[in-house]
Amino acid sequence: MRSPDVASSAIQVAEGSAIRAEEGAAAVDVRGVEHVYGRGAGAVTALGPVSLTVPEGSFLVLVGASGCGKSTLLRLIAGFERPTSGSVRTGGVEPVPGKGAGIVFQEPRLFPWKTVGGNVELALRYVGVPRHERLRRVPELLERVGLHDVADRRIWQISGGQQQRVAIARALAGDNPLLLLDEPFAALDALTRERLQEDLRQVSAETGRTSVFVTHSVDEAVFLGSRVVVLTQRPGRVALDIDVGLPRTGLEPDELRALPEYATLRAEIGHAVRAA
Amino acid sequence: MTSSISFQPDPSAEPGAQQAVTASRGGSAPPTAPPGAGASKYRRFGVRLLSILVLLLLWQLVASATRNPSFIPSPRAVWDQLVLTSTVHDGIRGYSGHFLIEHLGISLRRILIGSVLGVVAGLALGVVMGTVPWIRVVVEPLVTFVRALPPLAYFSLLIIWFGIDETPKLWLLTIAALPPVAVATASAVYAAPAGLVEAARALGATRWNVTRDIVLPNALPEIFTGVRLAVGIAYSSVVAAETINGVPGIGGMIRDAQRYLQTDVVVLGLFAIGISGLLIDAVLRVAENKLIPWRGRA
Repeated sequence: MRSPDVASSAIQVAEGSAIRAEEGAAAVDVRGVEHVYGRGAGAVTALGPVSLTVPEGSFLVLVGASGCGKSTLLRLIAGFERPTSGSVRTGGVEPVPGKGAGIVFQEPRLFPWKTVGGNVELALRYVGVPRHERLRRVPELLERVGLHDVADRRIWQISGGQQQRVAIARALAGDNPLLLLDEPFAALDALTRERLQEDLRQVSAETGRTSVFVTHSVDEAVFLGSRVVVLTQRPGRVALDIDVGLPRTGLEPDELRALPEYATLRAEIGHAVRAA
Repeated sequence: MTSSISFQPDPSAEPGAQQAVTASRGGSAPPTAPPGAGASKYRRFGVRLLSILVLLLLWQLVASATRNPSFIPSPRAVWDQLVLTSTVHDGIRGYSGHFLIEHLGISLRRILIGSVLGVVAGLALGVVMGTVPWIRVVVEPLVTFVRALPPLAYFSLLIIWFGIDETPKLWLLTIAALPPVAVATASAVYAAPAGLVEAARALGATRWNVTRDIVLPNALPEIFTGVRLAVGIAYSSVVAAETINGVPGIGGMIRDAQRYLQTDVVVLGLFAIGISGLLIDAVLRVAENKLIPWRGRA
């Protein structure tokens, strides 16, 4: 955890490939990764080469214009795809979907044949939690994402914002050391989005879990991230890698946004995104 | 019989698009039934009742005008046959020694057994076809071929193979019921939503978990449409199955009545088949709503 003392925390720009061992072991290690879609004349290099190290407990936000390969990078970290060249390691091993990382997608991707609670319960079952313990933990997980008394509801009976909360609860169910989020709030209205950002910030501070969050919103990046990486246009490379250094706890969202450092960071990252 | 013959994924069932729509609804409340739905339901019932009465009246008028009961029997004559075939009269039990309800019951039992066997086999075949590409390539033309055959056409072959008792009848209904379920299941399993499968894998689901918890439940609405189609086909094939040695059985009854020009009994048989068919479809509809509450909503 970073010091809550804002004044002393300097904004530092680091090389994308720099390994910052002082922050602990690497939860995610991306080395010289390039990813190409298609073959021959139609081949498109979507990403890279990119090198990144995400230390344990940090909240990394990947920002960039659409089509810059940030979602590709997240899918590589999730293990859904293998890089064309280079290597990706999570927790020291090659990533496999369903092992070591919870994932939240842009759409909730809930299973409509299950109730809200049933969706979370299924996630617990897949990681081998016994039945009696699942019944106890489902309401617990829903509470953690700010949902009460919705366990027996059907998916279409709750709002889009609530659905995405369930998706987050489901991703947290596995107790994985890593949480990957692919523009999870992009499809929500502004008010709902802000509320979910605030709650995610709190949940992440409480659980201290390493997170990688993809977004195209500069404000979302500064608000959520302990570190922000800006990717260039296709093929995506690291254009800016910056430690946010704002306090993770103890401040109200409005107070946080009112800090002069907040505005400085926003300006700097916004400039990098536009220039990328 | 036109729905989901090919394996093209149904564009309206594309989950990504629908989820995006749901998600963008944001914090709005879930939709509720429009006001006045109850009143219009009564009015619809009234209109239907009225149309039935008008049809009966027309029928009576045509019957009186033609004055030929072997060509068009009057509603009254059909009603009398209903009474006669449901009672013991002059020492004769119903029609050909069986009450109407027994004829119908035997036919319904054949339809039930044939449909269940056809649905189970179609389901198994459909899952395999939807999962293993080369099996689909090999089996699909065969299934489509059988589907295109009128049941009466292959009944002769079944008679040669299995004789004239119950076995060929059940085979006929099973073979008739199988293709729609197999095709519907195969196309739904094949078009499993990639997003949901990925989400399940991200949660740690095994291959078997994905099939049981995602692919099959997701295919249920289409499977159910296939089942309703299959029951309908079994239903319409039962008369064909009862053309030979079909008594007791409603099809056998109709065939016998035709031989003796008892037109009123033929018409009575048609009503028995039609009304019980509507009832069965209604039961299936209710079952569908109970079993698949998410249909059309997610």
